[in-house]
Amino acid sequence: MIVGSQKPIEEIWSMVKDFKKVLVFGCNTCVAICHAGGEKEAATIASLIRMRAGQEGKAMEVNHMGVMRHCEPEYFDPVIEEVKSYDLVLSTACGVGVNFLSDRTGTIPVYPGINTSFYGAVEAPGFFKELCAGCGDCIVHLTGGLCPIARCSKTLMNGPCGGTNHGKCEVSNEVDCVWYLIVERMKKLGTLEKLSEVLPPRNWSTSRDGGPRRVSVEHIREYEEQEAQKPETAGGKK
Amino acid sequence: MTPGQTKETGTYRPYGADIKETRPYSPCRAACPAHTDVQAYVGLIAQGRYTEAFEVITSVNPIASVCSMICHHPCEQSCRRCSVDEPLAVRHLKRFALEKSADYRRNKRRLVGKTKNKSIGIIGSGPSGLSAARDLSDLGYGVTIYERHPVLGGMLASAIPPYRLPREVLKEDIDDVISKGVEVRTNCEIGRDVKLEELTKKHDAVLIAIGLSQSRSLNIPGVEGPGVLLAIPFLEDVAFDRRPDLGNKVLVIGGGNVAMDVARSARRLGVRDVSMVCLESAEEMPAWKWEVDEAVEEGVRINHRWGPKEVRRQEGKVQGLEVVKVRSVFDANGRFNPSFDNDQTTLIEADTIIITIGQMSNLSFLKDSPVKIDVRGRLEWNPATQTSSSKNVFVAGEVVTGPGSAIAAVASGHRAALAIHLHLQGEAVEGALPLQEKEKISQMPPEVLEMISREPRLKIKHLAPEVRCDTMTHFEIGYDEEEALREAGRCRGCGGGAVVDTQKCMACLTCQRICPYGAPVVTSVSEIRPEYCQACGLCAPECPGQAISMVSYDVKEISETLPSVVGRVDPKRQEPVIVAFLCTHHVGVFGFDLPKNVRKVPVHCTSRIDILDLLKAFETGADGVAVVRCNDGTCKYRGIEKGVKARVKRGQEMLGMLGMEPGRLELLSAEAGRGGNPWAAVCDDFSGRVKQLGLRAVR
Repeated sequence: MIVGSQKPIEEIWSMVKDFKKVLVFGCNTCVAICHAGGEKEAATIASLIRMRAGQEGKAMEVNHMGVMRHCEPEYFDPVIEEVKSYDLVLSTACGVGVNFLSDRTGTIPVYPGINTSFYGAVEAPGFFKELCAGCGDCIVHLTGGLCPIARCSKTLMNGPCGGTNHGKCEVSNEVDCVWYLIVERMKKLGTLEKLSEVLPPRNWSTSRDGGPRRVSVEHIREYEEQEAQKPETAGGKK
Repeated sequence: MTPGQTKETGTYRPYGADIKETRPYSPCRAACPAHTDVQAYVGLIAQGRYTEAFEVITSVNPIASVCSMICHHPCEQSCRRCSVDEPLAVRHLKRFALEKSADYRRNKRRLVGKTKNKSIGIIGSGPSGLSAARDLSDLGYGVTIYERHPVLGGMLASAIPPYRLPREVLKEDIDDVISKGVEVRTNCEIGRDVKLEELTKKHDAVLIAIGLSQSRSLNIPGVEGPGVLLAIPFLEDVAFDRRPDLGNKVLVIGGGNVAMDVARSARRLGVRDVSMVCLESAEEMPAWKWEVDEAVEEGVRINHRWGPKEVRRQEGKVQGLEVVKVRSVFDANGRFNPSFDNDQTTLIEADTIIITIGQMSNLSFLKDSPVKIDVRGRLEWNPATQTSSSKNVFVAGEVVTGPGSAIAAVASGHRAALAIHLHLQGEAVEGALPLQEKEKISQMPPEVLEMISREPRLKIKHLAPEVRCDTMTHFEIGYDEEEALREAGRCRGCGGGAVVDTQKCMACLTCQRICPYGAPVVTSVSEIRPEYCQACGLCAPECPGQAISMVSYDVKEISETLPSVVGRVDPKRQEPVIVAFLCTHHVGVFGFDLPKNVRKVPVHCTSRIDILDLLKAFETGADGVAVVRCNDGTCKYRGIEKGVKARVKRGQEMLGMLGMEPGRLELLSAEAGRGGNPWAAVCDDFSGRVKQLGLRAVR
């Protein structure tokens, strides 16, 4: 899932301070699970903004709301008019949600209420770890199921660097050297000899190097296009 | 309808009433024939909300005060605390709530407008008759009650001895009903003073709710003549203070609850030597164990497993009862079918013998009426419609159900009233009456039982046996406020716990991880299992999607009421404004005086306090916020403490982010029973620390 983390209140305040009517708009999927931007945290941030406004003696109406996801219109369409009645929407969705909503609120600005951190897993309750970089061309079948692109500080594709230190990365003792983990893992799987294969240079065009990416699932598109011909389309999951 | 409001018909709906209808009932509620929402009113008592508790109780029970004295409380027998230690003292709590609401109750008595232009005649003013009278009055019908005795109440007034049910208590219940505009005709026996036919002509419907007013007698030699009494006439003498001459020795035949009333009343009429004889062993006898224990305390002796054979008389005067040994009471199929050992007989001496072996209805007034009686002399009726064989004549209570409890008769009265209402409105009755059996929450799983602290039931005090036997005065001494709050706090809140809004749940596992009792199970959404949930409230404030609410209270209530609790903050104040969230489980909301600058927010457990509540307190102008809990050893909900600490810590961090001193928010602990007022002391100390930090600017 996408992991986010909350912004300092001062940064938020600098974004919202000149607006009269602010909606803190929570997203109840990925960022809720990581306790960064679900409805609950939206309520908390709204409260903090009100208190901050109180400290400055500013009259400001700050409310909160939440929908299941900001990245699919079916979820926020039912409340979009209400959302647009505010001067500013502080979205606590990930950057995807903020962008997606921004395109759909006309003259109402949508600002980010949280930082979008990474794609990660819940290693322990309240502790999240980056495990994928979304490079668009997954090769972890070659590396024991562990990703050197996301988990090596240098994104090395050809084994550990000289900074590897008893299984830890030179960047920090809290960061595992993924190449150490890969070797250990592949030993256990009995596939270590695969590492001796010489691979062609990696094509990074599927990653950010190729510009903004899109994915089109043709059979779904086909269906949707047919649906669009009908006078009334299904509203999707509400 | 908005929760916590009273409908036009007078039916009060506590918070969560609607959702409770969609879920299994708490066992206490399911066991109550009238389905009194015990969990709701005990919870309200625990919060010091006595008049709301009164509303919950009386919404389904028009003889609530009576039940607070005499109910056999099946709620207690089914209480899930039975598996931990002892059941909650529900009846005593009910009495407390009703006594606390006495003025409120008198002030809210109102005439109900007769909007329906139809009238109902009710024969009998016992529990079922009164219940039907109240429901039908609330629905706007004209109601007339016909009662053969000079006072209303049926057996409650004419047979239950005053030491169990003080008459002023009964009067409160009756006044509630009568004040709605019910017409009353006392000293009016149907068949003697008025013919049934007149009633059926005069009213659109008639309800027969005459109960079982005649005692059964025994067919043994010597039974006829002076010195042998029947239970009901005897109890009527007691009830109306006509003190019968009983001699020095009284023997009561029978082992049921009425027999206990008879024996204990005889003791109170000055008879020192009262004994009982019954077919059953101590374990088999039908009387409630507590009744037996109390009777024995009062010196009543019980002869078990003897059957009456002959009343011995000398020159007509009763000498005693010859009894024969019982071999067995029940046959192989468990049916009542006593067998005797005729070789073993004995004589139990007595001056007076009182026969208390059961009751029946007096149906003589139905002779030559269209209301049919079956071959066994019982009223013919249809339980699905509460109707007799005659059109527009309905039936309720023990006359058709057979002997039972007052509260069961109440339930029957409600059903009959609904049946009459539907019938008079031209709607189908069959299939429309609610089912008596309700699905209930199952027993607590062993892993949950282990986590519940033993807290013995707070025993109610009785007048000493030697004192209480000299008088017909009520012998139980009710709880005072501190006792009631302590006892109410023992309730585990069955059925009042957490529910998930599946539209909002994103299956994040937070509730499953934080619950100390293992109640939530998250699959595609979270499901919080009611048999595990203890209604501590820890999960709701943690849910990142605000998808969890609580059945028994509004999770937003604290936050919403804080502005009025804090009030206007004076810019020129000398002392800091402190908001203190206080755990009320052990201390109750009563009594403890806090310093004037402390605004008290009682919470049943600090686990229910949301980070948003803490922030809201500061938003509304508090200079400092204290969360005062009991301690880990006495906490009602073991395992919540880490969650509460983490919440307070986070609140402190947020204050830091806003440039405020984290010390303005503290988690404190206070404990009862250490002398003085520990809550005032911890709040006062905290207030001093906040004062040092300075008062916040008011803008």
